[in-house]
Amino acid sequence: MTAIGKGTAPAAERVPARPLGERAARLGYRYGLVAVLAVMTVAFAALRPAFGTWANALIVLQSVAIVAVVALGVTVSMATGGFDLSVGANVSFVVMVTALTMVRFNLTGGTAILTGLLAGLLVAGANVLLTVVCRVPDLVATLGTMFLFQGLALIITSGESVSAGMTVDGEPAPGRYTEGFLWLGSGTIASVPVPVVVMLLFGAAVYVFLGHTRWGRALYAIGGNARAARLAGIRVERYRALAYLISGLCAAVGGILLSARLGRGDVGAGDPYLLQAVAAALIGFAVLGANRPNALGTLVGALFIGIMINGLTMLNAPYYTQTFVQGALLVGSLIMSYTLTPGRRERHLT
Amino acid sequence: MAGPAAGPAGPPVVAVSGVSKRYGATVALRDVTLEIRAGEVFGLVGANGAGKSTLIKVLSGVTRPTTGELRLRGRRLDLAGPLDARNAGIETVHQNIDDGVVFGVSVAENLTLDALARRGPGRFVTRARTRAAARAIAAAAGLDVPLDAPVETLPASLRQRIVLARALARRPELLILDEPTSTLSAAETETLLAAVRRMAADGIAVLYVSHRMSEIRELCDRVAVLRDGVIRETFTAPVDPARVVAAMLGDDLAARAAAVPGGGAATGPVRFAAEGVRTRPGAEPFGLTVRAGEILGVTGLVGAGKTELLEQLYGVRPLVSGRLLLDGEPYRPRDPRHAISAGVALVAEERAAQAMVPTWSVRAHVTLPHLAAHSRLGLLRRRSEARAAARVIGLFGVRGPGPDAPIEALSGGNQQKVVVGRWLEGEVRLLLLDEPFRGVDVGARADIGRVLRERAGRTAVIVASSDPQEVLDLADRVLVLHDGALAGELRAAEATAERLAALMAGRREPVEAR
Repeated sequence: MTAIGKGTAPAAERVPARPLGERAARLGYRYGLVAVLAVMTVAFAALRPAFGTWANALIVLQSVAIVAVVALGVTVSMATGGFDLSVGANVSFVVMVTALTMVRFNLTGGTAILTGLLAGLLVAGANVLLTVVCRVPDLVATLGTMFLFQGLALIITSGESVSAGMTVDGEPAPGRYTEGFLWLGSGTIASVPVPVVVMLLFGAAVYVFLGHTRWGRALYAIGGNARAARLAGIRVERYRALAYLISGLCAAVGGILLSARLGRGDVGAGDPYLLQAVAAALIGFAVLGANRPNALGTLVGALFIGIMINGLTMLNAPYYTQTFVQGALLVGSLIMSYTLTPGRRERHLT
Repeated sequence: MAGPAAGPAGPPVVAVSGVSKRYGATVALRDVTLEIRAGEVFGLVGANGAGKSTLIKVLSGVTRPTTGELRLRGRRLDLAGPLDARNAGIETVHQNIDDGVVFGVSVAENLTLDALARRGPGRFVTRARTRAAARAIAAAAGLDVPLDAPVETLPASLRQRIVLARALARRPELLILDEPTSTLSAAETETLLAAVRRMAADGIAVLYVSHRMSEIRELCDRVAVLRDGVIRETFTAPVDPARVVAAMLGDDLAARAAAVPGGGAATGPVRFAAEGVRTRPGAEPFGLTVRAGEILGVTGLVGAGKTELLEQLYGVRPLVSGRLLLDGEPYRPRDPRHAISAGVALVAEERAAQAMVPTWSVRAHVTLPHLAAHSRLGLLRRRSEARAAARVIGLFGVRGPGPDAPIEALSGGNQQKVVVGRWLEGEVRLLLLDEPFRGVDVGARADIGRVLRERAGRTAVIVASSDPQEVLDLADRVLVLHDGALAGELRAAEATAERLAALMAGRREPVEAR
């Protein structure tokens, strides 16, 4: 009685041959982004030979590594249909906390890492409280925590940057960034910069987690149809909390890496990362026809933005064009995701 | 049945002649002819899918009939859209109250909403003018509401009265009320019924669509019964609800009931027992049992409480009262996960909204309730998933492009096979099915029914449906719910059309000794 495969399907259900236009759209959708990325890389390398060197590749990877780590967290929050807008503020907050831990309180780099992670979990906890317990819609809830922690980051440092040798209560601060901590930002492992290694590790972890574990499947189920997920026995609230915790953790790690890279606690250092991380995650929808938040797509998205900016810089494009270019990339890939998808159904982002 | 025309003998206001509506191959309405007189409350009843909504859409201008015509006071109507209907004098109050209300603005602005839609010489809208107009509209409808309050602060019944007042302000010839009491309390229902009687007394023709026999009996001068798109019978007041329900259910019921392979009294042990449960707070408590090897059916009109009952058994709703025993042990589900671990599964009423994840494959749906079983150390094992999908496809004869195709590519019947079948992959002690055959073709029904009967020895099954035919096809015993309480319990072999119709309409029988 089994009937699997086209051969045995009743005529009415047999899939009809696709018209040419639809096939082109399908191919464009699936491989378009990667193709554009390849073309762009080749074009830049042709225009500026310095672009195509290994050294430059490392620079590009370095610059996108932190964005990628943060974006991976955003990806996980999007899988459930949520949206973590607080990641940029999270990064800023963690940068300040780590800076204070070492510079003001003269504690070790290891302690700074710990406090940084705790700070990130605090932000995540606030998100969970608002969205899961208080049932505030995700987008506005994380907007709220974004403001809260952007503000908190300023308050704990009285609105000033934190750096070794700064004056605290009339005296120079007792501590400084430890070497161990700084290594995270500028050191290498097998001649690959540490942030890039972290990016690859997190990328692999999120890829496996979302795509190949039962928890990732449950997260996607919630994002696809939360009612159906609940009735299938998935404890929706717990998984949504998990998603925000992961997102907060990724942002915290991003903040630690940024702090190490900067070697100081700059006011608002993490704020620009929100836009870039969200853009990378959204561009990721369009990669290889995934049509949903996914780790590989996010990495490609981050790379896409990084290469574009790097290439433009080499072409001496003024810095103020970068935001516009990022926006254009984002809009372009959103159009690809939402318009070109063959036979698409309604998708809701939040 | 012919008799002296009860009620007002006003002239016919709306005449529907030979109206048919086809949607592709489906015939939603076939040759419907009826007329509604001024000052009359004309009831329209029918089971889900009988064609009530389509008829309302035709009358309110949302759809054009494929054939046939509408006349209003003798004048032929050709409605291009809802606005035409309203301009002609047909007003509709929809089932979903909030479809007619604009949130975020005040009561007064809602009452005067139609003024905004009117074209004409421009005029500034001032608070004072709005309030004055609103006051007039409310007074005319006998409605006393705070005009400046934001409309969302009002309870549903008052919001509905606002929609009604707006409709009345246009002085309609025909007022259509679609399931108006589905969200109202008993007291609010009384107020609404009184308002409807007043409107009829004022000479308005009212088309009253409802599932509630008590209201139909109290309110309507005549009642038409729709079944499968055809008007089967028209009753005149005083209306006997049992006969109305019998007309809704149809003649096949008698034949089918006779053909049931006499489900003899099951002698297996009791697998599931419920004592003192209620469908909702305030309803009468009752009990039920399911023995090994038997399938229990639950039927009743829409709103009788079937879904509420099943949702309590699955942990979707908190148990209102009473206790549950599964294989003799106390069972109190906190949430669906808890229920699944105890071996209980629910096939929910609405497949698309409550079971299907868009773009997901058949395989992914099959494994969703049992993800832990298909993973090792958290990692999903594709082969294990594929085997499970193949088992379900084989067991039910699912026809389609394959286990990795998106579930939307399957027909409704095959989708349902997947949705039901996925539960049988786990250790299921009690399987609950809520309207499992909606949108499912005859062949798929037979396949699903066959599997359920085969499993009845291992799995206790409760099937709920507002179509008693479906239940009789499967069940050995049938519980009939009415208005939230148990109306009666019958063995399938003894369930005649008359007895079922009477029970569903609310006439009680003594519960048989077991």
